Amino acid sequence: MGTDTVFLAPAIPAIGFLLILLTGRRLPEIAPYLSITSIAASFVVWVVVLMAFLNDGPGSSSIDWFEVGRFEFTWGTTVDAISIVMLGIVSLVAIGIQIYSLEYLKHEPRLWWYFAVQSLFAAAMMTLVLADNLILLYLGWELVGLGSYLLIGFWWERRSAAEAAKKAFVTTRIGDVALLIGFVLLFRETGTFDISTIITMAHGGLVDSAQLKWALFLIFAGAAGKSAQIPLHVWLPDAMEGPTPVSALIHAATMVVAGVYLIVRLFPIYQMVPESLDLIAVIGLATAVMGAAIALVMTDLKRILAYSTISHIGFMMLAIGAGAPGVAMFHLLVHAFAKASLFLGAGSISHGSGQTDIREMGGLWRKIPYTTVIFSISALSLVGLPVLAGFFSKDEVLLAVHTGRLNNGFLLVSFVAVVFSVLYTGRMLYRVFLGQLLPINKDSHEPGLQMFLPICFFTLFAACLGLAAFEWSHGYKGFVSWVTDSEVGFHLDPAITGVSTVILLGGLSLTWFIYVRHWVSSATIQTRLGGLATAAERKFYFDQVYQWVFNRIVVPLSQLTSFIDRAWVNDIGVDGPGKLTRFSGGILRYVQTGRLYNYALGMVIGAITLGVLWWSI
Amino acid sequence: MLELVHFQVLSAALFSIGIFGVLSRRSAVLVLISIEIMLNAVNVNLVGIAAFSERAADVRVFGHILVVFIITIAAAEIGLALAIVLRVFRNRGSANVDELNVMKW
Repeated sequence: MGTDTVFLAPAIPAIGFLLILLTGRRLPEIAPYLSITSIAASFVVWVVVLMAFLNDGPGSSSIDWFEVGRFEFTWGTTVDAISIVMLGIVSLVAIGIQIYSLEYLKHEPRLWWYFAVQSLFAAAMMTLVLADNLILLYLGWELVGLGSYLLIGFWWERRSAAEAAKKAFVTTRIGDVALLIGFVLLFRETGTFDISTIITMAHGGLVDSAQLKWALFLIFAGAAGKSAQIPLHVWLPDAMEGPTPVSALIHAATMVVAGVYLIVRLFPIYQMVPESLDLIAVIGLATAVMGAAIALVMTDLKRILAYSTISHIGFMMLAIGAGAPGVAMFHLLVHAFAKASLFLGAGSISHGSGQTDIREMGGLWRKIPYTTVIFSISALSLVGLPVLAGFFSKDEVLLAVHTGRLNNGFLLVSFVAVVFSVLYTGRMLYRVFLGQLLPINKDSHEPGLQMFLPICFFTLFAACLGLAAFEWSHGYKGFVSWVTDSEVGFHLDPAITGVSTVILLGGLSLTWFIYVRHWVSSATIQTRLGGLATAAERKFYFDQVYQWVFNRIVVPLSQLTSFIDRAWVNDIGVDGPGKLTRFSGGILRYVQTGRLYNYALGMVIGAITLGVLWWSI
Repeated sequence: MLELVHFQVLSAALFSIGIFGVLSRRSAVLVLISIEIMLNAVNVNLVGIAAFSERAADVRVFGHILVVFIITIAAAEIGLALAIVLRVFRNRGSANVDELNVMKW
């Protein structure tokens, strides 16, 4: 039972998916149990593989499928610290989400379909995470996109959900095209899709550096699309149209961080091209600031969380850009559990009160005290309340920016993003749980155990994962060095920790005075900020610009193309020969008189002509 | 004295008669007989050339063998053609080729 059994982790949910598809219509009631059983089996596989990994170290195995010329397609898995962490996140979060969904979506008529796609998603995500070559990774990458599309559009009868699903699919597809071109560029340069071979060859200087740079830029574009980085972040907030557990699993914990995972996996190459790391850092930082700024003015609870996700993935990208992929993985781990807990908590809040808009909430702690505590712990963990997990991961990110390859301007702007994060978290917590209880919410209730236990479980991780950051033994010098196999142990920079803690306490007090004490009304602040607040409320006009581009450039271009297609390709190229044949046939058919002696005469004349021709030549 | 040119003249005459018959006769049976005449014109030509060729005897004999093959195939062909004509006559009450013009535009 070594690391090579890891292929079972994606295989079991894939089989589960097929079984649910076969039985779904006739036996819809067993679908959830099939799905949960298969994902639990994956979790067991993960535990076994983790034990094998801790004993024997990394391993990989693969089987050949087919060969075309130089290209070999293999089904291969690779087990190292990064993939084992990701696999753990995926299987653990997926189990919790599916159990939560049992109650949350109890009355859905298409529940079997929901669980079918959940299984498909789990299988695809694990394939992506374990793949040892780029083609298999791309397969998983596209399949998780499909799962995301199907689950965002789960309530496809609602127009906005169908539109959001389409938007998510198309936006990520733009990145995916770049990603595929990047992969093919790498293949052209190295002749293989195998990730470790590509890394070895790149380190050996066998890859043209200009080509390598372009390939890495394009791959990052794909990662930016999947991980909702500027300028391809627009799909993620709209993806909140899907059921809340889906937002928790796909759009917070697993699929959206696939981009981060991909860059971390390819980090040895990225390291060789400093420009690409600069680009990643700039995009990540801009996304972190922008996401947090928009989260500050959003009024829909799930959208606040969505923009918070965008912002935190920006932080992960920033850490990679600073040259610290291990830090990015640590923040990814903490964020996955904290955000899953927050989304599930948000689902419980709207499940119990019927509200999604934070302006319609307030004073809910009287009605749902347990959810309040759990939700607050996760939220405060993410903004970095000391001793909670987010405190360590966020400080590691800031420390990486400070000590890494970036200059201190980045650190300064990161602190701006941190300030925004604290402010939006304070605003969210105070507006939802404190203040006046509105009469419409007086029947709010706590969720049942099936929903509550998964949240507690995730919150436990969000609170305690900080322990993983410490240097426990000689072999384990903290999560960050463990995951990247480096020797640098854990340490805290008192200055950065001090500043971020001061920001946290200051921000929480400031929002306390605004939203609870009402010393200054938030409306006044918005008026004072004027254009800036409006711009944030309009999401910095990304959607409008894209709409304009679509309306004014893409649509006319497609109309032109379709005109060329219709007028030239179809009417002339395809219909032309047909019409010509018809026309000439219409004339020539009169040759066929049907009289035998006409044909006989034709034969005789033809024979004579041939004879004369033969004779004269 | 019989020479090659006599064979060729006979062959040309038979062939022309055959062509005339195919073009001018209305009855399908007569058209078939004309085709037979044309085939026999070819046979006469072959026999003549084979007999008067300068080549060795074992090569010249191929001409005669070929004629036997043509006769056999002609018999088979005319049998088939007559069977078709018979069916046409049964169905349409006439074997006049002018009336068999359904396969036109």
